[in-house]
Amino acid sequence: MSIFSGRAFAVRAGLCLAAVAAMTMSMALPSQAADPRQQLHDDFTAATVGKKIAWVPVWLGVLESEWTRVMKENFEDKGIEFVMRDPNFKSDVQLQAVSTLINEKPDILIVQNPTTTLLARELKRAMSEGIKVIQVNMSSNTTTDAYVGVDVPKMGRLLAKEALAVCGGGKGSGKVAILQGEATAAYSLDMTNAATETLEKDPSIKIVSSQPVNWDANKASEVMTNVLQQHPDLCSIISVWGPQTAGAAQAVKNAGLQGKVKIFVGSDGQPADCDMIDQGLYTKNLSYTANLQGEQIVTAALALLQDPRPAGSTHYAFYTTNYWVSGPEDRRYCFTVSK
Amino acid sequence: MRRIWYRLSPQMLIGELLEKRWMEPIVPFALMLAMFAAFLLAIPDYASVVQIQLLMRSFPEQAFVAIAMAISILSGGIDLSVGAVFAMANFLALYLFLVQEWSLPLVLAGTLAWGVLIGAVNGGLIAYAKTRPFLTTMVVLIIVRAAYNKATIAYSAQLASGYVENAAWDFIGIGTAGGIPFNMVCLIVIGLATHIYLTRIRSGVHIMAVGSSRKAARHAGINVKWSLFLAYLLSGVLASFAGFLYAARQNSAGTDTGVGWEVNALAAAVVGGISLSGGRGTIARAMIGATIIFLLINGLVQLGTHGSLTTAAIGFILLLAVGFNVKFVKHKSTILQKMYVSPTLVNFKEPPSIERGSGSVFAENDRLLAVEPIGLGKIEGPEDVILDRYDNLYTVNRNGSIIRFLAPDYEVREEFARIGGRPLGLAMDKDENILACVAGMGVYGVRPDRSIFKVTDETARTWYRFKDDSRILLADDLDIAPSGLIYFSDASTRYELTDWALDGFEGRGNGRLLCYDPKTNKTTTVLSGLAFPNGVCVSHDGRCVYWVSTWLCRIYRYWIEGEQKGTLEIMVDNLPGYPDNINRASDGTYWLAFVGIRSPAFDLAMEDPAFRVRMVKQIPPDEWLCPGINYGCVIKFDDNGNVLESLWDPGAENHATITSMREHKGYLYIGGLENNRIGRLKLPDADQNWTSWDSYYAKDLQVASDVKTMEVDHVVDS
Repeated sequence: MSIFSGRAFAVRAGLCLAAVAAMTMSMALPSQAADPRQQLHDDFTAATVGKKIAWVPVWLGVLESEWTRVMKENFEDKGIEFVMRDPNFKSDVQLQAVSTLINEKPDILIVQNPTTTLLARELKRAMSEGIKVIQVNMSSNTTTDAYVGVDVPKMGRLLAKEALAVCGGGKGSGKVAILQGEATAAYSLDMTNAATETLEKDPSIKIVSSQPVNWDANKASEVMTNVLQQHPDLCSIISVWGPQTAGAAQAVKNAGLQGKVKIFVGSDGQPADCDMIDQGLYTKNLSYTANLQGEQIVTAALALLQDPRPAGSTHYAFYTTNYWVSGPEDRRYCFTVSK
Repeated sequence: MRRIWYRLSPQMLIGELLEKRWMEPIVPFALMLAMFAAFLLAIPDYASVVQIQLLMRSFPEQAFVAIAMAISILSGGIDLSVGAVFAMANFLALYLFLVQEWSLPLVLAGTLAWGVLIGAVNGGLIAYAKTRPFLTTMVVLIIVRAAYNKATIAYSAQLASGYVENAAWDFIGIGTAGGIPFNMVCLIVIGLATHIYLTRIRSGVHIMAVGSSRKAARHAGINVKWSLFLAYLLSGVLASFAGFLYAARQNSAGTDTGVGWEVNALAAAVVGGISLSGGRGTIARAMIGATIIFLLINGLVQLGTHGSLTTAAIGFILLLAVGFNVKFVKHKSTILQKMYVSPTLVNFKEPPSIERGSGSVFAENDRLLAVEPIGLGKIEGPEDVILDRYDNLYTVNRNGSIIRFLAPDYEVREEFARIGGRPLGLAMDKDENILACVAGMGVYGVRPDRSIFKVTDETARTWYRFKDDSRILLADDLDIAPSGLIYFSDASTRYELTDWALDGFEGRGNGRLLCYDPKTNKTTTVLSGLAFPNGVCVSHDGRCVYWVSTWLCRIYRYWIEGEQKGTLEIMVDNLPGYPDNINRASDGTYWLAFVGIRSPAFDLAMEDPAFRVRMVKQIPPDEWLCPGINYGCVIKFDDNGNVLESLWDPGAENHATITSMREHKGYLYIGGLENNRIGRLKLPDADQNWTSWDSYYAKDLQVASDVKTMEVDHVVDS
């Protein structure tokens, strides 16, 4: 909390000043309300101030905390009420939290789906109740007002192309291992499928392992230790997410194969990802820069608030741009975490 | 004010409350309410209909798993596989429904079959192969979990994209019946059924018995293996039914499904106060525990708490609850013991003098010195004595039997009948059956052919009392009215016979006068709130019942016939001794035994309830100040409440603690609660042919024979 409070105070003070200034101006110049720039501002204020936005991540990891920080700062700045519920990686609790929020009727509901099915029905219900829904990075089987996040298949293809460049066309053993996240999460499922398709176009590539490790570094370490025992000549690893890959990279290092096994990671740009690149534990990291993504969520929310159409009318997609991180010079694509 | 405080005694209320079995989960129950109240204050609209509905919808699956765990714990084991079994059932239901597209009843059957299968594996291993429950179910947990992970990965694509519009499926998942979510309805119905099964149905009770003590259950002839097998079977089926409901509600088989649920279920059982050593606990307690954990998680998430803090808070509260619960359960009996005795205020006046030569009718004399012993050393605790028409002498024995000494010399002793319990007061009815008040049992009878029959053992329960007083706890003395009604005293509804001194410390109206009607076979409470009602005797004219209050040292008269029928009056107050049994005397008066003699010290103690509370709490029982019972005294009183004479055994050499005496053909037979003999005293001035039985029934007999004679005459005439 303390990291926000100073800023929150500043925002509040700013708002007060703005209000005072607005009052002074409106008193002094009552006839100037038709000013187009003033009109724009008035419309924006009417559409946003006092609105309520609710946010339910899967849990509050480094990535989700970054999103939360950016959203909180921005929404508070605009005078929007922002609530967050942390189910701490328990899908039943997340479902409860979302159901409860729907009953509380916020103006916008932002969710990160742990699987494609868990929240599908509730998101539909939310929209029928007039709540606009934004899905972040991990979407469900229900299409909602907006999706903000990675173009997941593209990311899979980009990672696969890197692997192909290193291992394809008869270079090396051609053996590639894929580390999935949660098997039924859209982010992991779609990325794995796209990467697999791309890799399979090259007949010299053998996908020796494609297993979900549930976002867990320990599990990734176990899986990779086993894979390396069976395939010491492994050429490359493709992993859908940074933090889980740390375990796999450690396993590679322990097997004395650091640098020989190329590791390509799709991730959110959390500081540890860039650290791993700096230490040479990852070969390349495709960052979707969670901090910038957070800004995009805010943008989408503001757009939906100003859109007079009812919930369920739009199907916006805000695909984030990915940036390759391959050395210390690319630090700018990793965000920093304030302590 | 002080009097009212001691009369109403909140202490007694709490004491009797604590004694209730349903008070055991009071701590978790209070915690549950407190938590709900706290969230009610902290979260807006927490108690709104929609919110309550949502809570009810989210809860049942966890509750089912907690019940499954509770059953295994109650059976004396543990089932750690419940979480994994639940998850696998969830997957199976989704797989069968979304991928195989089976019809709904088949999906349910398939899911439950899984529960039966895994329950049979657990139960078979634990009950028949005698493996340890903890290790067995942990291994099953690991295997099933691994299988679940493999299965969800194998079908992840189908499960991720599977979505079937089916009204019945949605109704199970999110439908409501009468405003209550369908899965909650299932929980209520199945929870109740399970409760009834474990407490009322034979095989369920057997599971509890096996959990309490496997050895004792086996000795009682219970099929221990089958009971254990059933417990795990039931556990498996309940967990998989939860999985089915969860599948319909969540439509999702994530890697986290059911992870750690066995820990939550275990915590629920422990927080609910279910003993991990088995046999002790209820389904309701498991539900309370599960509710606490569920509300806590749900509430903290709603408050926007960081996930790690939620987990920490749960851990902390569990620790607190478990610690407190363990302490509470462990010390409950001690607390109860310390606060159960709840003395009230008794104000005594100075009693009439008993000093030898004081001229008082109660003055000590030597009239019982001439008593000759009967059955010396052959009898233990003849609380009451009675004689039949053939002069045989009957008495009660501590071991629960009725002993007979044969007339005329009473040298031959035989066990006439064995009732059990502790027989006390005796009476003889018109058919010459012996009726006995039996402490701990009620009123029983012995026919002349020695067969035993129950007269009564229960009366109507007092609706406003926590303590169930429908059983007759301490039947003390009885007598039979001319109408055939049997009046008898139930000396205390709070203490058993062995704890009579504690009842004395209370001096409270714990007893009652009951009446049994042989025509309707019903027992009614005639008077309640009596301070140790003891001796009961129907007057010579049959119009009233005399009874005594031992602790208040009074003789009461209760009218059962005539204008004053139903009224109660104090006939003699402030006796110098503690009165016990009353019996008729040959001269139209009544004998009354003094079981003890009052002392100024104890009288003073009775005026200070706080002193008696301290005494009972702080010093060991053998140092308690008790009513003095090392005296021997019998008095006589008449229908006007005049005490006519007293007979003393000075120093109580032969007859201490006299509890009864019976006049028969010019002799007075004396019994004592703790004595090893019956005394016999010649009464030279008494009617040498008078018997108690004749005094009650001879008139009827005369009338009956007259009627018979008349009938015979009539027949002859015609």
